[in-house]
Amino acid sequence: MIIEMNDVVCRFGVLAALDHLSLTVEKGEVVCIIGPSGSGKSTLLRCLNALEDIQEGSIEIEGLRLDRQHKDIHKIRLDVGMVFQQFNLFPHLNALDNVNLAQIVVRGRTRYEATVISKELLGKVGLTDKIDSYPSQLSGGQKQRVAIARALAMNPKVMLFDEATSALDPEMIGEVLEVMKQLAREGMTMLVVTHEIGFAREVAHRILFLENGRIVEEGPPQELLTSPKNQRTREFLAKVL
Amino acid sequence: MTWLVDQFTILGNVFYYLIQTVHWTILISVLAYLIALIFGLVFGILRLSLSRPVRWLASAYVNVIRGVPLLVLIFFIYFGLGKIVNLDRFVAGVLAVGICYGAYLAEIFRSGIQAIDYGQHEAAMSLGMTRWQTMRHIILPQSVRIVVPPAANEFIACLKDSSLVSIIGLRELTRAGREYSSQYFLDFQTWLVVGIIYLILTLTLTQLVKVIERRVAVHGYGVEKK
Ligand SMILES: Nc1ncnc2c1ncn2[C@@H]1O[C@H](COP(=O)(O)OP(=O)(O)OP(=O)(O)O)[C@@H](O)[C@H]1O
Ligand SMILES: [Mg+2]
Repeated sequence: MIIEMNDVVCRFGVLAALDHLSLTVEKGEVVCIIGPSGSGKSTLLRCLNALEDIQEGSIEIEGLRLDRQHKDIHKIRLDVGMVFQQFNLFPHLNALDNVNLAQIVVRGRTRYEATVISKELLGKVGLTDKIDSYPSQLSGGQKQRVAIARALAMNPKVMLFDEATSALDPEMIGEVLEVMKQLAREGMTMLVVTHEIGFAREVAHRILFLENGRIVEEGPPQELLTSPKNQRTREFLAKVL
Repeated sequence: MTWLVDQFTILGNVFYYLIQTVHWTILISVLAYLIALIFGLVFGILRLSLSRPVRWLASAYVNVIRGVPLLVLIFFIYFGLGKIVNLDRFVAGVLAVGICYGAYLAEIFRSGIQAIDYGQHEAAMSLGMTRWQTMRHIILPQSVRIVVPPAANEFIACLKDSSLVSIIGLRELTRAGREYSSQYFLDFQTWLVVGIIYLILTLTLTQLVKVIERRVAVHGYGVEKK
């Protein structure tokens, strides 16, 4: 198992954004997470990357316990790559340096080593001709692909995608989803929060339906999407499909 | 006609006398400002520390210093602390102005750091950077663009306020003005010239700040488009 969440509670004040949630993810598995707004999808991913504190339960990534108070938390976090809805590229660095920086300061690679890796990854996401561009000179889809390359450059064992295509114009969604599909084919372990049901149907091994911080229903795409058992899942799917 | 010539001769003499002390004014303000930059950066960052006592200490510095007149601070350091440790008036004066402006710069730096979208911190941390690496490589380089214009303006204010150290006998421009006017009873002309010299300095600096402002704006990377 690569991810093990055990009875996790994450609270904001009195509200439990994750309410005794347990989840295991196997190596190479692609898990898509769907659910209404405020159901805790982002919180789930953020907890896996130690961007939020959990109040109860435990999270293990490859057997290492994720603890925000741990002084080496930034090292444990290295195994988890995250792609944000708003890209969060570093605007003062060009595409190449966006991908290079953490390799150099965190992984300790030389600039030369890092550049070789970055160029390869930027090529993989189809941006060979954009390595000198600053984020402000890139389209949304291009920015998100740089962000994916940036996360991959750290050799994560898991990739988390939080609505990676939600901030994009419709014509750019495809190019980003294509990169994600390719990653899935290569066997990357992925947790993907998405509203793209078509993507989930095609790529996911498993879909989770979240509501009120709980996994209401889960299963393989054809089952969960075509014959959901739970009433709430049916209502939600009726709205989005 | 001769009266006018006389007046100009007097003004010329005053100017010639005073201009020889202007380098002290510049030296005091530059040194004080360097101290202020260090204090400002350190305390500006400490105000955002995760540790509550550290944050408290940093904001105590900022609030206490900003709440006390600079003149009182100068007296306190020169006469007060001077009783305990032997402080040269130059050191005391520079230190007082530096500590005072450090508090103002700390506020400017803090708000410059906080102006950076929190997503930048999260992206950096998700890549495994420590808080310090995030600050150093991600946040501060972006804050510079925001911070430079107001921080440069503080130097102009610092230069003007350096006149206050004349009170403890530091012989800079204002002090020289006092000496000259009491020696020759030329108050009107002396203070007129002192004012003009300060004005020349500040106007020059204002232009310089404008150039710097344009530089960081153009040289900068565009802000991320949504
Ligand atoms: N930093 C925070 N402070 C307080 N409440 C928060 C915070 N972050 C999330 N919440 C709350 O926790 C709940 C779950 O939020 P979360 O962002 O995980 O939902 P989501 O499923 O990602 O929704 P969306 O589809 O709108 O992105 C929501 O009720 C939200 O208001
Ligand atoms: Mg969300």
